[in-house]
Amino acid sequence: MGLLSGRTAIVTGGSRGLGRAICLHLAREGANVAFNYSRADAEAAEVLTALRALGVQAWAFKVSVLDKKGLQDLARTVETEAGAIDILVNNAGIGQVVPLALMEEEDWDRMMNVHVKGAFLTTQAVMRAMIHQKRGRILNISSLAGVKMMQAPVHYSAAKAAIRGFTEALAKEIGRYGVTVNCLAPGVLNEGVSGNLPPAKKDDYLRHCALGRVGTFEEVAEVAAFLVSDRNSYMNGATVVLDGAV
Amino acid sequence: MLTGTFAYLIRLRGERKQTPMECTSCGPTAVRKDKPHTFFMHEMSTCPGCQVAVEARAVLRDNAVFHLIHCTTCGPSELRVATDAKAYVDAFLARGEVPDGLVGDHLLKHTTSTCPGCLSLIPVDVVIRAGKVFFVKRCPGCGPSEALVSEDARYYVGAYAFARAGTEPLQFTGEVKHGCPTDCGTCDDHEQHTCLPIIEITDHCNLECPICIVNNQYANHISNQAFAGIIDAMIRNEGQCESVALSGGEPTSHPRLLELVDIANRDEIGRVVIITNGLRLGRDRAFAEALKQKGVYVSLQFDGFTADTHEKIRGRDLCDEKAAALKMLKELQIPTQLIFVAARGVNEHQIGQVVELFLAEDHILSLNFQPAAFTGLGGGTFPHDPMDRLTIPGVIKAIAAQTDGRLRESDFSPLPCSHPQCVSLTYLLRLPDGSHLPFGRFVDFTKHGTLLRSSATLGASPEIHDAMNDVIHDVFARQDEIPRSTEILAALRRSLDVMFPQRALSPREAIRIGEQQAKSIFLHHYMDRHDFDLERLRKCCHHYPQVDGRVMPACGFNMFHRGAAKGPSTPLAAWGKPPWEAVEPGVKKLPVVG
Repeated sequence: MGLLSGRTAIVTGGSRGLGRAICLHLAREGANVAFNYSRADAEAAEVLTALRALGVQAWAFKVSVLDKKGLQDLARTVETEAGAIDILVNNAGIGQVVPLALMEEEDWDRMMNVHVKGAFLTTQAVMRAMIHQKRGRILNISSLAGVKMMQAPVHYSAAKAAIRGFTEALAKEIGRYGVTVNCLAPGVLNEGVSGNLPPAKKDDYLRHCALGRVGTFEEVAEVAAFLVSDRNSYMNGATVVLDGAV
Repeated sequence: MLTGTFAYLIRLRGERKQTPMECTSCGPTAVRKDKPHTFFMHEMSTCPGCQVAVEARAVLRDNAVFHLIHCTTCGPSELRVATDAKAYVDAFLARGEVPDGLVGDHLLKHTTSTCPGCLSLIPVDVVIRAGKVFFVKRCPGCGPSEALVSEDARYYVGAYAFARAGTEPLQFTGEVKHGCPTDCGTCDDHEQHTCLPIIEITDHCNLECPICIVNNQYANHISNQAFAGIIDAMIRNEGQCESVALSGGEPTSHPRLLELVDIANRDEIGRVVIITNGLRLGRDRAFAEALKQKGVYVSLQFDGFTADTHEKIRGRDLCDEKAAALKMLKELQIPTQLIFVAARGVNEHQIGQVVELFLAEDHILSLNFQPAAFTGLGGGTFPHDPMDRLTIPGVIKAIAAQTDGRLRESDFSPLPCSHPQCVSLTYLLRLPDGSHLPFGRFVDFTKHGTLLRSSATLGASPEIHDAMNDVIHDVFARQDEIPRSTEILAALRRSLDVMFPQRALSPREAIRIGEQQAKSIFLHHYMDRHDFDLERLRKCCHHYPQVDGRVMPACGFNMFHRGAAKGPSTPLAAWGKPPWEAVEPGVKKLPVVG
């Protein structure tokens, strides 16, 4: 009996990186998993196969987190197929290293749109079902760069900080319906957007990290699975920082 | 202190709690103190001091049930009579479930009413018979009598589930000495503050209505000074008033009416309303324009569309005069309420027609049905059968039957802030296409009772804001189940935007904006010697402020203090406190027989 047996989760950006790890971990804990992706067809197919091999129902949707209608269709399909949507993980994100001096307006908009508007549109599409069933877990993936002062791209840090504000306000707004909203802020990981840190910056991070190492997708996914489980019943509006103590 | 801090923290964190029923949006709710309990009903009890049987207030407090007793010998006391308020309420509601096929009377409860003959207060049985509710009375002097109280027992019993705690005025104007209603004026045994002060500015009238519920003496126009004194007193008592109504007599017969309006036009008062038969409005354009210029609202008596209905209710054919008044109100876009006094066999067939009129005109903000009360100079002798009369559920049925499904019985809910048997209402949300949809189609009023207020419009209060957000989420989550949900959400979004902008609204601005969002239909059943219920009077919130400072709950004043409960020949009770006179010290004890 897994931690999430009988539950149905939607994970955005699930074909690669941390999203993929979260999808697989939720499935290992017994959850049926739906995920969306925007371009990586081959990777999405691989994840779908892997999820089904774990004995759960799985669905993949090629739809952008900025496609309101597509997200609504996604939510309705999953709700119809699975009977409920219990979990949403707003994970979809992008990285871009550029100083503010050279940042184009389009860079800023793309960063904010994918992280913040994407979370808004996906949550709006999904929370209808959660309010209706008076139950739900929403987990938003932020970053240490959105919580602490770090040397990170300004638009990335701003978007990740916005995710935290989004979490806290939404937790207040829909907590009364039995839907909890929390935020997970990982530090530097060995893969993904922080996987290609210049050695000097990585060394600087490790000097300040009490555990003296970077984290892994698996470690983040493990905590994510707990945060969206029924065993995490009283946490709401919280940001959990997973950084080895920086 | 701890309680207050804790309550604040609870609110800060968005937890749910039962909202005390502050029935106006006219002031910060923190100013007027909430009642510490929810008044539920009257119930027989025993004075713990002298062991005499007394009728007590049954109130819900801290999840327990208490009897609040006023013993004329021993004074006030209280008894805890049940430890589980919910179980107590559920048991009462279950008592209203009559087994199928039961023949005869099913006793629901007891209360205090009046003998229709001698007007003495007497204990009565409240019984369910053939799906209706009756008072069964036994007066020691006059003998037995019965009266129809509600045409629908299910509605009557279910209404008790809407009971909510009231609020207190900032100061009371009477002391508890002899009990209710002798002490009328109001005292702290009264369960609701004044939500609508009705100031009778004259006892002159240009009609002699066969249904008139007051007792015009054709002797008095209130002076500016006395009127200002009443307004000052109401502000002292209430802090702010959403509305103040000027009545009579016919208020437009007062020679200085416009000066009185100026006196009442204060920041603390949201609306000045004139309750009128409309005769002067229809023929005196300059007067109507002056009212418009001063921002006055008009409550227009409008009881039918044909000569015969006017003749029966108002004494003569008023079709042309009413049409002229309606035309003037429409031309000047004066915000209007229609008041339709509905009497069995007289005008009940025109109920649907007045609803259509109300829905068709933007300046008509609300419609108030008043099932006829047979009290007062005319009403006391108006031909009627106390066993076959219109009551609130009967009018609701007529509305549903005569509006081709535009309105349904389920659209209406008892109003929690008054006694739930006194008023029923529905709000109708204005949709983007200009049509109106009853809130009952998308709001579960058992969950969102805060939206039910004794106000013609939605108020921009924090409580309403919270309730609207709840409703929005509810409709959002049930979009597939609720017809026109997209339009409803768009309308609610519009309402939120304009009612709660990013700037402070004055009370008047908030009222003006709120009244553009929804219309309302009220049904308010005033009481008479047949269906008078002391329990209902306890929570009356429509009050007549007097020149001597007393604030008299409406039906108690009509029944006991005007001296016309059975028509013009009714002698004033020895303990009665008539209008236009100062109260004498040493008021006599109200005789309670039985």
